[in-house]
Amino acid sequence: MSAARRLDPVLLLALPAVLYIAVIYGVPLLVLLGRSLLVGGVPSLAPFISFFSDGFSWIVIGNTVRISVLVTLLCLVIGYPTALALARTRGAMQALILVAIILPLSVGVVVKAFAWQIVLRRDGIVSQFMTGIGLWDEPQRLLFTEAGLVIGAANVFVPFMILPIYSVLKLIDPRLGEAAATLGASPFYRFFKVALPLSLPGIVTGIAFVFSMAASMYVIPSLLIGDRFQTLATLTGRSFLFMRNEQLGSTTAVVLLVLTVAVVVASASLSKRLGGAS
Amino acid sequence: MDTLFKGRLSRRTLLKTGAGATALIAMPSVLRAQTKELVVGGAAGHKPWVEQIVVPAFEKKYNCKVIFEGTRSLVNLEKMQKNKGSQYMSVVQMDDPVMILAVKEGLLDPLTAAKAPNLANLVSGATHMDAMWANYLQPWLGIAYNKSVMKTAPTSWAELFDPKYKGRVIIPSLQNTEGLPNIFMAGHLANGAAIDAAQKDTDAGFKKLATLKANLLTIYTQQPQAYNLLEQGEAYMIACGMSSYALERKAAGAPIDLVAPKEGVFAMPSGIAVIKGAPQSELAFAYVNEMLGADFQSKLAEPTFSLATNKAVPRPAGLAADIKIHQIDWANVAAEREGWIKRWDREMAI
Repeated sequence: MSAARRLDPVLLLALPAVLYIAVIYGVPLLVLLGRSLLVGGVPSLAPFISFFSDGFSWIVIGNTVRISVLVTLLCLVIGYPTALALARTRGAMQALILVAIILPLSVGVVVKAFAWQIVLRRDGIVSQFMTGIGLWDEPQRLLFTEAGLVIGAANVFVPFMILPIYSVLKLIDPRLGEAAATLGASPFYRFFKVALPLSLPGIVTGIAFVFSMAASMYVIPSLLIGDRFQTLATLTGRSFLFMRNEQLGSTTAVVLLVLTVAVVVASASLSKRLGGAS
Repeated sequence: MDTLFKGRLSRRTLLKTGAGATALIAMPSVLRAQTKELVVGGAAGHKPWVEQIVVPAFEKKYNCKVIFEGTRSLVNLEKMQKNKGSQYMSVVQMDDPVMILAVKEGLLDPLTAAKAPNLANLVSGATHMDAMWANYLQPWLGIAYNKSVMKTAPTSWAELFDPKYKGRVIIPSLQNTEGLPNIFMAGHLANGAAIDAAQKDTDAGFKKLATLKANLLTIYTQQPQAYNLLEQGEAYMIACGMSSYALERKAAGAPIDLVAPKEGVFAMPSGIAVIKGAPQSELAFAYVNEMLGADFQSKLAEPTFSLATNKAVPRPAGLAADIKIHQIDWANVAAEREGWIKRWDREMAI
């Protein structure tokens, strides 16, 4: 039976995608990895040793992880209720919410980042609102701060949190909630004991998506926070594009890759353990 | 006039994508007829004025055809490396830091007074590394400021450090070529060292520049974004502001201006060179010679908001005759830049 499964011709349908990924992604990745481990043609761990023994590298890694975690959390907090609403509504309302989520994806990141610049500056909308309602004593600038970066990045990535959660939520049998209700479960209890556990695979997938995109974002930080805040991705980009230091660039790229792959693999196995096929 | 630099934005974007560049390198050159065709490699942002001003004049005078391939400096370098021994480009217009790399790889044919007589008419400091290349134009760097929020124009580079401009100053990243002079000028402000000395010993400059941090709104890598903030009044000053960009924005109606502070301004590099083993070598030198001549330069200086390097062409309006124009030692920059960027990250970016 296992032999039959191995030969399942349906698997061949994945062949174009596999070939595509192998050529476009796999080969360059191997080259990159090779480069990061070669010093003057000789295999060596020296680039990694010098990278990790530099205090600045840890600041950069810290920046990357902190921003990615914060962006992921914000996306989750905003995205989950939205996914819930999306799964509950039907017809025109659902179409409207879906369009509202997907349409902004068609606007380039650069355009969005420029829009955020208008919103987050000292006399921007956020600052005017906060001083207007009296929370802030004087206008403040969110632009070029970490808070501004998190807000802006979450705006770009939130659809990638909403959609996986939504796709899981809509598969949950609504009668489960009703059954719990007939057994006397409060709405609060129903959410935390029924809906939330069932939607965990979607949450985990969303986290993997958003975290890996936030960790590797390049254009958004360069526009929303500038050169004073380095992440692994901006450092990699600069090493290749400006300093022409391919050694450093491939080293930081590999570190970033290991970081995101670890999160994606961990969330995939977590998702499996939680019993859902996401 | 403002249409002249329309290509610039796309060039900056390209600079960031990098990936697109590879596709451009791989693209085969345009099929060319047998004789009298000159291929010039340059920046995409230069395409409008090269094709509107330079090419028609040159083609008419020399009865030939000029093809301008506008990409960016590093792409031009890669094209020259890939085609070493069988070059199809004859002339290259690139930033000076990239010229140094081309010299190191033996890709350039030195300019001589015999082949390009106009070399003799250039201001000092306009040829580099034994005339491997020359500067045909030099955009200049001063302080760009917003006229509606700053009623009096800054007169000194020291004003950037004034505490009343807390969070209002933007400087370029050190990875942007126009960001380098900030270290040199800071060194000069710190201990009065001559700019030339401050280029060699940057320690005082770095220490002084670190005191600018409270005033910094941001450190930009994307020039259009920085000017956007300046024009909106969120930023008051950009230092260094580049004439070819700031004055182009001013001409387009933005409420900004570029001033030449009393300590002087810096000349930015726009280099031109003949490629070693170039087809149409004679024509190539003629092209370079024309670009260094007073006739072409006087036509180009105004639309590109740049300084001419030919002595016969007067300084542009807005730059008084007594303002010192500092030249940057690009060989020194090439040797030191990586170390500077490292120090910059650790001291400025935190």
